[in-house]
Amino acid sequence: MLRRVIGLLIVVGIAWGGLVAVYLVGVEPKLGLDLQGGTSVVLTAPDDTDPDVMEYAVDIMRRRIEDVGGVQEPEISISGGTTVLVQLPGVQNEQQALDAIGRTGRLSFRPVLDSTPGLEGPLVTNTTDPPGNEVEGGSDESAVITTTTTLTLPEVPEGVDPVTGYTIEDDPDEVAYLPNFTLFGAEVLTLGPAEMTGSDVSQALPGFNNTSAQWVVNLSLNSEGSELFATLTGEAAAFAIGDPRRQIAIVLDGRIIASPQVSEDVVAGVGIAGGDAVITLGNDPAAEEQAQNLAVILRYGSLPVAFERSQVEKVSATLGSDSLQIGLVSGIAGLALVAVVLLLYYRALGLVAVLGISVFGALLIAIYALLGHFQGVTLTLAGVTGIIVAIGITADSYIVYFERIKDELRAGRTVPSAATQGFQTAFRTILTADTVSLLGATLLWVLTVGAVKGFALSLGIATILDIFVARSFTRRAAWILAHTPVGRSGWLSLPAAAGERR
Amino acid sequence: MNTWQKISRGETQIDFVGLRRRWFYMSAALLVISALTAGIFGLNLGLEFTGGVQVQTDNRSGVSVGELEATLTELGVVDSRIQEIDEGRGIRIQTGPIPVDIEDEMVASVATAVGAPPEDVNRQAVGPTFGALVARRALLALGVFLGAVVIFISIRLQWKMALSGIVALLHDLLITIGIYAITRFEVTPATVVAALTVLGYSLYDTVVVFDRVRELEGDYGDVLTYTEIVNRSMNMVLARSINTSLTSLIPVGSILFVGSLILGAAPLRDFSLALFVGIAAGTYSSIFVASPLLALWREREVAWMDQSRRVARRRGGSEPEEAVEVEEAPKPAPTSSDLFSMEGSMPPRPPKRRRSRRRPR
Repeated sequence: MLRRVIGLLIVVGIAWGGLVAVYLVGVEPKLGLDLQGGTSVVLTAPDDTDPDVMEYAVDIMRRRIEDVGGVQEPEISISGGTTVLVQLPGVQNEQQALDAIGRTGRLSFRPVLDSTPGLEGPLVTNTTDPPGNEVEGGSDESAVITTTTTLTLPEVPEGVDPVTGYTIEDDPDEVAYLPNFTLFGAEVLTLGPAEMTGSDVSQALPGFNNTSAQWVVNLSLNSEGSELFATLTGEAAAFAIGDPRRQIAIVLDGRIIASPQVSEDVVAGVGIAGGDAVITLGNDPAAEEQAQNLAVILRYGSLPVAFERSQVEKVSATLGSDSLQIGLVSGIAGLALVAVVLLLYYRALGLVAVLGISVFGALLIAIYALLGHFQGVTLTLAGVTGIIVAIGITADSYIVYFERIKDELRAGRTVPSAATQGFQTAFRTILTADTVSLLGATLLWVLTVGAVKGFALSLGIATILDIFVARSFTRRAAWILAHTPVGRSGWLSLPAAAGERR
Repeated sequence: MNTWQKISRGETQIDFVGLRRRWFYMSAALLVISALTAGIFGLNLGLEFTGGVQVQTDNRSGVSVGELEATLTELGVVDSRIQEIDEGRGIRIQTGPIPVDIEDEMVASVATAVGAPPEDVNRQAVGPTFGALVARRALLALGVFLGAVVIFISIRLQWKMALSGIVALLHDLLITIGIYAITRFEVTPATVVAALTVLGYSLYDTVVVFDRVRELEGDYGDVLTYTEIVNRSMNMVLARSINTSLTSLIPVGSILFVGSLILGAAPLRDFSLALFVGIAAGTYSSIFVASPLLALWREREVAWMDQSRRVARRRGGSEPEEAVEVEEAPKPAPTSSDLFSMEGSMPPRPPKRRRSRRRPR
């Protein structure tokens, strides 16, 4: 007896204590955008898109969204192979964010016209940091502060940020001032219009050059690209080694991805002909990854796939909280009614069921809180539906069990024996039925897209919890009840609920 | 002892199988109505399936529908439906599929027109192909699910039980579709979720019922006919079925009536109706469709036909099939008191024996 009471208390303690503990440390279930308000966008790529490309595309999107700013915790995930789900809770610049995600950027190869050391573009660089003066990265910080405090905005052409001196929106056909961060510090490169674009690249593969022991990217160009590349490198080769103008800038979405220098054996005016080139990245440990990333960028150009904006759902914070509130109010009202029915019909056993459902509910909320915190799983409207359905299934588990106990009592068993024996048979039924539910939840999770997934998750979690609670809580609680005077005789007892007089 | 006590004690003697024609006619009528309504009127498919844009917002400036219409026409959005909601405090605009850039422009100009900040404008836009994708995936999941369930129930119970269960499930699904066709509630992905739930629920229920049938087969396989075994199982699980559907319907009903009809939350309404109808149909079909079907089917097996003959001989009566046929004699529609006083095809209860097929612990 004592052993079971302790076991029962431990289970209840884990459930309720766990829920309280989770809330005390400030972890709460994360609400989906349909309950919290926010924008979610579904983008679809063509059917046969490579998984690597999808991941790369998601990286680009994430970066672009961060650039837009004003978005709290954007979540971008690949769901169901070729669809990307972008979730933007509480977006301020919704329209910019939408534009940024779907925009196809351009990859371009551009000549370097000049280099300005430091963090500011040449047009705003003033007396504190004369151009051409070699400054190490560290002192640049102070240079920025000096200029911004004694700020007199210099006259800059349109499209150039007056503070940083960077080009705001890069147009590959115009001169641009873009920051470049190298091993030797920061600089701002003045770039000429693009002479070649990503579409001229036919292949780019990372590799390791055994002779030089360096990580490289082997670049192949198509016939048009070969000529353009030869011209571009030929022009750059006219400058001396070490001159910034001997570099070629590879620019994606207004960012300098790489700025390799044309090597010394390239003849000025001739350039690298033949359509093949090697970009050497060095031999430090990070170079391998750099080579791979660069190869992917070169291969797929900008946003590598033409995404179609398949769905936009914008829920305002008010509508979201309305839905949540109504869901909660009616859910709680429904639960209360269920509790009343169970208590009236099964009496003391009904109390076991009500406590069991509370254990089940506490565990479910705690699990959602933890999943939300560690895995970013959100509770959506569809998820709430799954939970409501699961409450029905859990209540059913109790009913199946209690009806069994009644059968056993009528067949002449003693109260304790009916409780034990009833559980044996009822649990088999519960397991079978729960297996069907779990099967459905798993298949839905694997095979569907969108809202259905949230439903499948909550149904699956709840079904497993149902089995767990039946085994660890209900069996013990019913056993204990069957061994107390309350359970054995009187109006509240098990026989009374079964309609047997003893 | 009143009816409810009888149900509660599993002592009702309703001849579920013998009265199958009643249930079958009733189901057939429901199915025909569902199929006809769905066939003639179709379903009120939501934006998610048809593609298009819906914009909903508070109308702060009190702009009129006509003015909004003019704004939209200016943008080249012609095929639109604008309505006032919340007694004129809000505006809802629905359009067919339109290009993405026009969509963005439209949302911006509507926000300006009603005087609401852009973040308070609810928007839902779905490309025409995406809805098809969602629907296709759901159908695929459904197909695989049905296959897997047939295999699982065949292994765990019997394959005839699996197929009877599937028939009941399709029955529930069609009735749910019919209800949506009749009520004109919008069919959204949430509804699809609900319909899938209904399938799970219907099967779950059928499994619980058949589990009992299989157990009684072991207990009474040598004294009762298959029909009698099924009948007895049904009477035994009747209390459970009623209680379960009650406890499942209460929370769903609470959302349907309190949440959506009184407080007016459309997204909740869309799925709670499907759940409500589906769960009710699921409970009904496990008892009144799946079980009689199973009994009919298995009675045709040689072993059970022999058993029926043996039982008949032992009781000194005629073939039990005829006894069932007698029950089919025309009668007025059953009232509940009728049902519970039905006699005839149930033999007296044999003495309860200890179950022989108990698993060792």
